[in-house]
Amino acid sequence: MMFEPVGDDEVELLIERLADGDPEVRRVALIELANTAQPEAVAPIAKAVEDPDAGVRLQAAISLGEFDGFEAAEALGIALVDADARVAQAASDSIAELKAPEAAAALLPLVEHVSGFVRASALRGLKALRHPEALAIGVKAMKDPEPGVRAQAVGVVGYLKAEESLPALIAACRDADAEVRRTAAGALAFSKSPHAADALIGVLADEGWAVRECAAETLGKSRFDQARGPLAGLLDDDVWQVRVKAIRSLGQLKAKEAVDRIAQSLHHEVSNLRKEAAAALGEIADPAALPHLEALVNDPDPDVRKNVRWALSRIGAATG
Amino acid sequence: MPLANTPTSVPVLVDAEKCIADKGCTVCVDVCPLDVLRISEDTGKAYMKYDECWYCMPCEADCPTNAVTVTIPYLLR
Amino acid sequence: MQSDARMDEIRDGLSEVECDVLVLGGGTAGPMAALRAKKKNPKATVILLEKANVKRSGAISMGMDGLNNAVIPGYATPEQYTKEITIANDGIVDQAAVYKYAENCYDIIQELDRFGIRFQKDENGEYDVKKVHHLGTYVLPMPNGETVKKALYRQLRRERILISNRYMATRLLTGPTGRVAGVIAFNTRTAEFIVVKAKAVIMCMGAAGRLGLPVSGYLYGTYENPTNSGEGYAMAYHAGAALANLECFQINPLIKDYNGPSCAYVAGPFGGYTANSRDERFIECDYWSGQMMQEFYQELVSGKGPVYLKLNHLQPETAEHIEDILHKVERPSRGRFHENRGTRYAQSMIEMHISEIGFCSGHSASGVFVDDFARTTVPGLYAAGDMASVPHNYMLGAFTNGAIAGEDAMGFADGHDFESFDAGDVAAEQTRIMAPTTREDGLPPNQIEYKVRRFVNDYLQPPKVTAKYEIAQRRFAEIRQDAEERMMVRDAHELMRAAEVWSILDCADMAAYASLYRTESRWGLYHMRADYPERDEDNWRCHVLLSKKDGEMHCEKRDVAPYIVPISDEEMGAYYRQRITATA
Ligand SMILES: Cc1cc2nc3c(=O)[nH]c(=O)nc-3n(C[C@H](O)[C@H](O)[C@H](O)COP(=O)(O)OP(=O)(O)OC[C@H]3O[C@@H](n4cnc5c(N)ncnc54)[C@H](O)[C@@H]3O)c2cc1C
Ligand code: SF4
Ligand code: SF4
Repeated sequence: MMFEPVGDDEVELLIERLADGDPEVRRVALIELANTAQPEAVAPIAKAVEDPDAGVRLQAAISLGEFDGFEAAEALGIALVDADARVAQAASDSIAELKAPEAAAALLPLVEHVSGFVRASALRGLKALRHPEALAIGVKAMKDPEPGVRAQAVGVVGYLKAEESLPALIAACRDADAEVRRTAAGALAFSKSPHAADALIGVLADEGWAVRECAAETLGKSRFDQARGPLAGLLDDDVWQVRVKAIRSLGQLKAKEAVDRIAQSLHHEVSNLRKEAAAALGEIADPAALPHLEALVNDPDPDVRKNVRWALSRIGAATG
Repeated sequence: MPLANTPTSVPVLVDAEKCIADKGCTVCVDVCPLDVLRISEDTGKAYMKYDECWYCMPCEADCPTNAVTVTIPYLLR
Repeated sequence: MQSDARMDEIRDGLSEVECDVLVLGGGTAGPMAALRAKKKNPKATVILLEKANVKRSGAISMGMDGLNNAVIPGYATPEQYTKEITIANDGIVDQAAVYKYAENCYDIIQELDRFGIRFQKDENGEYDVKKVHHLGTYVLPMPNGETVKKALYRQLRRERILISNRYMATRLLTGPTGRVAGVIAFNTRTAEFIVVKAKAVIMCMGAAGRLGLPVSGYLYGTYENPTNSGEGYAMAYHAGAALANLECFQINPLIKDYNGPSCAYVAGPFGGYTANSRDERFIECDYWSGQMMQEFYQELVSGKGPVYLKLNHLQPETAEHIEDILHKVERPSRGRFHENRGTRYAQSMIEMHISEIGFCSGHSASGVFVDDFARTTVPGLYAAGDMASVPHNYMLGAFTNGAIAGEDAMGFADGHDFESFDAGDVAAEQTRIMAPTTREDGLPPNQIEYKVRRFVNDYLQPPKVTAKYEIAQRRFAEIRQDAEERMMVRDAHELMRAAEVWSILDCADMAAYASLYRTESRWGLYHMRADYPERDEDNWRCHVLLSKKDGEMHCEKRDVAPYIVPISDEEMGAYYRQRITATA
């Protein structure tokens, strides 16, 4: 065969093989049907999610991930409630690949399903579709009893970047589940509202280090000036990765008053922290940092030395 | 110079119980960039014919029945 | 389905097909070139010919961890990127192509996104670009990078591009005026030949990855996908195209023995870094370059060696998250490798090494010489991706320049008719390829290949020494003669391996010849000549173009095109000062 088969005859032939009595033959036919990537292949593959054989249904759920649109999404919805867990998981993964806005109509009703897995999967699929109707549904799902569902719901709402979702996102920053709180803190990045800032500042005291890290980073990205004090308070956090983010944000906020506190990190044993501290002091460019930085020009770490030199030149330029 | 056969332990294993090559599947043979897998005439199942593997794993990832296992070639372990 | 015995049986056969635009190699650049060509003229015929299977071929066969060099508005500018690339390549850059890439790559990201290839986004759905380099912010992770090839394949099938899998191209056909006329290839499972006549040909055949031998001695344990054995370079050479700066080798940092990427770009944003045995960071250089590799190499052989990837200072959850990414997407067998050795990232550092040498513009700067439209010096012939001379291309460069090539090539095809060629060239090529099938007894290709590549390591691996290079040239000539007289194969699969031996030998010869021509050191470790240790700006601030003239290998100098983004001496000097501290 010189070329991969093209054309409609190919699809016809494969559809015939889908009627074979041997489930493994049907399965191979499904793989080849998906390979054609032709729109006519969707309907027969979609039908196969109701095949009596679990292996065939699994293949159908995988293959539908290669397509898009309402028809594929609707069939995936059926596969999502399959009694066989592998089929359901494959459907969930395929749903996450959907991109066409029309697919949303098939997923929206599933958000009310009795199974938490189905609700979470539907939300996971809705996220990238950014359907306006998903906003209210997502906000509601943020009160779901299952944390996995709530985390996906925050994802949907975060993608829609709607000011009216702020109260819900802020509430989610106090969720019982750390992953939900982290996602919610990250999702607040779009907002310039002082309420968002207050919520993020509150999160700086979270018990989960990854949650604190996320809030510290977001506050800097959003340039919330009111966070300068609270961020400086994070500079003795037990986890150095959190301190790195706090220092970076203080640099972005040009927090002059934090120079001395930041400078303390110039002597930390983890060079990542020294490097970040030097960079932040350069961003702030306050002469008060000079003596601290000068002590570090011969740091054993080249990245630290580079940032120290850069910071010194910035301060020189600012004062000279 | 005549040729001799040198034994080599191949890194790719196929579980014959799971393999459905006899039903027309050729997925692993199709996707392998080095083209080292074949369907055996004797058993009707896939196997590694040439020891020229990049341990890249499409054969394992794409096999519909999870019949393929890729291990690291002994020389690099 | 073909049964096993028939599958690799050598058969006689020669067919001919024609198309408007022919793309050779369906890895990364190739699919994009084919799609763009078809988009430009939907009525035209586009053929994509591939040695493996487009579904899972090339450097990204399994997936990719991220874009290393994304120029995304708000994070980096084309000017800044062009400047950094120029500096990282010691000034030997025709900036137009780099700048054009930088201007176009964001559109390509969005197009790939529409194809269903997913890039990392933050909680608001914006691209989550990471700063890894000292200056610009260019890294965009791809947590679902394993879907790349599938998405491309789907797109090709949807657009009904004619795909020819398992055909290995071996020679370009050219006409009386030197213009490209098509290609000759053979089926790697049947040995049947095919001649594809085309108005324009785009070569996207990847790096020359099977040039040096990995330290393990395993022929296929290469950094690059070993399917990429250098045909692109050899074919361009024999068709009369110029190749640029082949002395600028590719050498990469990697996980020792596993020989897969070290993934500084993945670990960097999380705080991971390359350290010596004292746990200290040591790399001075800002950008991935020969200079960086030089520092790496020096540390490796110094008292502070070996070199490690350090992640064990991170929170255990972070180290595990990195494991999860690295063991899933790009080279997923990596997890199995570490498992065998009992290495966990959160606990111990991971020993690194440097790769065997190769040609690849994806990571360095050598390749078939092209302009900013991906045109080679042969009319109608284009090159994109790892085998074309645009430096530091990586994956996004392959996609972007593939697109540029596809569009321009279709324009060329629309304005031209088929070029004629000499049928004698086809017959001669068949004879050349089939020669090993005519012998009952002889040397198998794998042994010949092993020998070439062992000598590549022994003699060509930097530091480069003139006398050693001359020995290598003599050895390669002897091996070439052995291959001509005694190479033998038993089936079509082995015939592919035999044909690859020729490309590997051609690349080894070109690597040696170009390296000897440039009598200075440049690009750090990539062209470190022990007997010409200094950079010589007066005589060698230029490209070296290698080509075939009157049947012989030939090199000449070519001026670097005037910069479109000026670089002050101070900026260039800052880079060189870094180097002095590093080598002192
Ligand atoms: C392990 C690894 C990790 C990498 N990680 C990253 C990363 O994280 N980010 C990034 O941006 N870049 C990365 N790169 C670089 C990037 O993948 C490459 O630059 C890019 O994919 C090259 O594309 P290409 O089209 O030139 O080559 P390829 O994608 O390799 O395609 C070449 C194609 O040509 C075919 N071929 C070869 N010879 C012939 C012949 N004779 N006839 C017909 N066909 C032939 C091959 O089978 C192959 O399909 C990585 C590369 C490697 C190897
Ligand atoms: S992909 Fe799996 S089932 Fe198919 S032939 Fe290969 S091993 Fe057998
Ligand atoms: S791991 Fe890669 S090279 Fe090895 S058999 Fe599988 S697909 Fe082929």
